[in-house]
Amino acid sequence: MAEISFPLPDLGEGLIEATVLDWLVEPGQQVERNQPIVELETTKSALELPSPQAGKVVRIHGAPGETINVGEPLIVFEVPDDTAGIVGTVPKDEAPKRRVRLSAVLDED
Amino acid sequence: MMTGRHTMEQHRHTVEGTDPGLFVEVHEPGTDAGLRPVLLIHGFSSSTKLNWVDSGWITTLQDARRRVITVDLPGHGRSHSPEDQDSYTPSRIRADLLQIVTDAGARPLRDGDPSTGLDVIGYSLGSRLAWEFGATQPDLVHRIVLGGPSSADPLAAFDLIAAQRHLADGTPIEDASTAGLLKMAQMLPSNNLFAMLSLIEAIKGEPFDPGEAAPHMPLLLVAGEKDERATTMPELASLAGKRGGMVETLVIPGRTHNNVITSRAFKEAAVQFLGV
Repeated sequence: MAEISFPLPDLGEGLIEATVLDWLVEPGQQVERNQPIVELETTKSALELPSPQAGKVVRIHGAPGETINVGEPLIVFEVPDDTAGIVGTVPKDEAPKRRVRLSAVLDED
Repeated sequence: MMTGRHTMEQHRHTVEGTDPGLFVEVHEPGTDAGLRPVLLIHGFSSSTKLNWVDSGWITTLQDARRRVITVDLPGHGRSHSPEDQDSYTPSRIRADLLQIVTDAGARPLRDGDPSTGLDVIGYSLGSRLAWEFGATQPDLVHRIVLGGPSSADPLAAFDLIAAQRHLADGTPIEDASTAGLLKMAQMLPSNNLFAMLSLIEAIKGEPFDPGEAAPHMPLLLVAGEKDERATTMPELASLAGKRGGMVETLVIPGRTHNNVITSRAFKEAAVQFLGV
């Protein structure tokens, strides 16, 4: 098994941070790709982030009320080695339809 | 998660000769529960995307097997920003909404047929429009959910002269509500500031008077515990209750006017309330 970490993605509109309202998943939980994982508030609106990854949640960063900067760690998943998307491997999943683009720390794109 | 079909169009069917160019989308569920469509009306200086898509409402309603109609208000989101003031009046917007839902297939309520009628969910300014829409369309509207509702009208109380002076030469705005609303209107590049001010001016001509016409159909009122604009929610509940309608209220702990929209408790209560 491998761990894969996702930072808070660029939310567009020049936003640089977001405040955690509520986590919708918890460590140990198995989540599907695109399942809503967290409610966030920005200076412009409140939104839900869809999961960028299917897998088991290992860690979440930011308790309700805490602010996270774009690019800082948000969530870590445990995934089978061959789907980790580590540089040099190609994830087998189909390209997801995402409302907000998240890219893994190790990903080049 | 279900992903349903999805059609969109610039609405072309006009009711008063001029075309306000409202952007309409119909979000079909994966499988349809066979219930009436749900119309969503967003708030001031927001949009369908911000108020309903990014916040997770569309997928929540599609997962509940509901067909959803969304409209960007004039000057908001992907709708046009008409130059004539008339396109922004609440009465004109209500007339356009009626035409839009009719074109999208909503039919007058018929006893025993759950596919007839229309459910409406509004947020903030959208709640005001939903209240009036329900009050004036009793043969069509089945149930209403109002988020962040207020019996007062912060947009009618907006100090337009102070705002224009501020935009011209930076003079500070004394009224905190006016300053806050103007900041909101300036924040989104997708929203046209001229159109935001036209909407405010049009609302000043038709300020919200919830006692003038109150809806008779069942009503769910939802607000964050820290929502300062919704402290008057009990007045709305009392006005609608006096008309004999069933009224439920829900206060979401810890939430404000801006962040109650993503609340799971809000969504679950709305889905359940409209799922009959």
